[in-house]
Amino acid sequence: MAASGSEVILSIRDVSKSFPGVKALDGVSIDVRRGTVHGIVGENGAGKSTLMKIMSGVYQKDSGTIEFDGARVEHTTPYQSMQSGLAIIYQELNLVNTMSVGENVFLGRFKEMKGMRGTHAKARELLDSIGCKVPTTRLVSELSVSEKQMVEIVKALSFSSKLIIMDEPSSSLTGEEMAELVKIIRQLKEKGISIIYISHKLDEIFQFCDIVSVMRDGRVVDTKAVAEFTRNELISKMVGRTIENEYPARPHSVGEVVMEVRSIKTHKLHDISFKLHKGEILGLVGLVGAGRTEIVRAIYGADKARGHKVFLGGKIATIRNPKHAKDFGIGLIPEDRKLQGLVLPFSVESNISMGSIRKFSRLGFIRRSIEKGIGARQVQALSIKTPSTRVAVNNLSGGNQQKVIVGRWLEISPQIFIMDEPTRGIDVGAKYEIYLLMKRIVEAGASIILISSELPEVLNMSNRVLTIFEGRITGEFEPEKTPVDEIMKAALGFEGGAA
Amino acid sequence: MRMGRNPVARAVQAFFRDYLVLVMITVLVTITAIVQPKFLTERNLTNIMRQFGPLMMVSLGMTFVIIGNFIDLSVAGIINLVAVVTISLIGPWGQVPALLTGLAIGAGCGALNAAAILTSGALTQAEALFLTFGMSTVFSALALLYSGGMTMHFWDIKTSKSMFETIGAGTVGPFSVSFVIFLVVLLLLWIFQTKTTEGRAISLTGGNKTAARLSGIRILRSIFVIYVVCGLMTGVGAIVLFSRITTAAPVIGAGYETNAILAVVVGGTTLKGGKGSVLRTVMGVLLVVLMSNCLDLLGVSTYLQVVTKGAILILAIWLDNRKQV
Repeated sequence: MAASGSEVILSIRDVSKSFPGVKALDGVSIDVRRGTVHGIVGENGAGKSTLMKIMSGVYQKDSGTIEFDGARVEHTTPYQSMQSGLAIIYQELNLVNTMSVGENVFLGRFKEMKGMRGTHAKARELLDSIGCKVPTTRLVSELSVSEKQMVEIVKALSFSSKLIIMDEPSSSLTGEEMAELVKIIRQLKEKGISIIYISHKLDEIFQFCDIVSVMRDGRVVDTKAVAEFTRNELISKMVGRTIENEYPARPHSVGEVVMEVRSIKTHKLHDISFKLHKGEILGLVGLVGAGRTEIVRAIYGADKARGHKVFLGGKIATIRNPKHAKDFGIGLIPEDRKLQGLVLPFSVESNISMGSIRKFSRLGFIRRSIEKGIGARQVQALSIKTPSTRVAVNNLSGGNQQKVIVGRWLEISPQIFIMDEPTRGIDVGAKYEIYLLMKRIVEAGASIILISSELPEVLNMSNRVLTIFEGRITGEFEPEKTPVDEIMKAALGFEGGAA
Repeated sequence: MRMGRNPVARAVQAFFRDYLVLVMITVLVTITAIVQPKFLTERNLTNIMRQFGPLMMVSLGMTFVIIGNFIDLSVAGIINLVAVVTISLIGPWGQVPALLTGLAIGAGCGALNAAAILTSGALTQAEALFLTFGMSTVFSALALLYSGGMTMHFWDIKTSKSMFETIGAGTVGPFSVSFVIFLVVLLLLWIFQTKTTEGRAISLTGGNKTAARLSGIRILRSIFVIYVVCGLMTGVGAIVLFSRITTAAPVIGAGYETNAILAVVVGGTTLKGGKGSVLRTVMGVLLVVLMSNCLDLLGVSTYLQVVTKGAILILAIWLDNRKQV
């Protein structure tokens, strides 16, 4: 191992934790050494956050031992673990927005700091030690996300922490802010502080972690020095099988025009026109807010738009609401799964069947046997992981929830699928399954309009992409033949981007 | 997810969460039956059976509105209007036309509510609350205009009013006619809610309007249907009510909106929409009516009874919110 030699600061041995019906942790053992950055990767639900919560005292473990800094850790509270030198920085930062930076660092300890003057002086000292220039009197609400993160780090240092756990710290940082964070992590490491770095983003793991533990289904499946892992090996360890590529091969047989959209105009969109072919995946690329979602919502009849025409198979189609769109064979997988896609307290079955009610009704009455069949069929066809079709869809993981929505549409087999951020917030393995599904859909002769904020995803999945900038189409590309930066230029509105 | 509880404690907790209302009815009835012998007399029980009819009809209608994640405060106004118009038409038009007109007015008022909500785009529960509150004033004012503020009595009616007398005081075997009407209506509404596609569409709309709409369910139609059902059922309630008390004043509906919402929520239909059942509402109405009866018999003052009702509504909403955690 890279940092063998140095002593073990945190030793987790055979820790297990069960919740009703779920074994969240199953004999987890991890050693973290002094002055190392220890990455923990794993899909959603692999047990990472449960482990963190046990260490911080939010949950109590069922069995196993945890030794931190030579002492057994039993039944701690979050405050006790802070004081023993173990700090956790959660994804959703825990700062008081209406108080100053200094006050946040020493929240509840003003007396020990001998009043406000001492508080601010000590906070300044700590901020300087990691090269952070933020004034200690500034209100936290005025800080950027990365500055808030630094305040959290400083707060951890103020407890003279020996181990800092960072839970998905990069999820809301820009590239520059990320570089800043990496610098700070390296400084902390030099001071002999250990860091547990939890992340989805493999680039980061390879960039600055020393050792990485891979978790899957509540177990640690491997712990090795980062240098000994290859990217593909890490991914396949996370998902439990070998994935040759992150994306399946692009479908090729693109046919005649199935849909033509002419001049969509709204207050946000300017004269959007394009064509969609049979068996094609058409990607819409652009910044968040460029108008991608508005385009598909206008086509689908979800928002009011003026004067545009949609031709399906050469014939004009009047689509005034989503019901019309469905009747014309268009399906939408909306951008926000929980708010727009699912009826969360309802069962998996009724969430699947809700798109095809007409199919299982006679004279206005529900025929349960047919509805049950629909639910069971899609759960099986899409291998949706659920204890039964009667379970509330709320209890499923993100990827399985997304499959429920896909299943709802597959049941009425639309010819045009609109997928708005179909893989947002779901883990690597489930993403790949969604990609395979998309491929199956186009191979069966339907077409897909794909919107995604993950550029590699759109570029690898689409036959053709349109770049959208400020409500206009600024270019059309075949991602297979075009360099990425050219597409990016068009999506960012640079002149000469149009092909 | 709560931790550190053993399965027995969890089961007990779940039982009280789901059946607290039932437990409360049982406790209240038991205490009253022990300390007040008048409670178990035939006269009192018949009285209860007659009393819950009107509130039951209104509450059953309200259940659909609340499952659809809306609310209807106009039921008091609808009762006022339907009651005075129907009773006045028995003489000139005859019994059956008067009855049908009354039901049509109820459904029509519901349709007006829906039209106001749909055309204004007030598609949230909060907006519907204010809108139907306004409609209630309109319906009540119409009732006052129509009746000139006068109370109308059965004895003013010169022609036959036998059908309404039967509704109000008749019996079928051991049951009152209004109880039989209730059973039939309950069966129909239960089938509508659980066995038809429209019933399903209403639940889905109540569970998540946006998702229902985007999956091609006609949510506007569902919203229209829930208000028409509620209006119609309120019309039925108004007719049962004036048939029992043999008079119709343009203010007899006062308080029905709060009592109906109380009954629905106490029964366990969530104000968040989507989940609920007409059967639960039956339980809720039973509690509200039995509670009034028991408190009356125990000699509790009317003012304190109002406080009790308010406290129970708050308790029901509190329990409802804890369920979602």
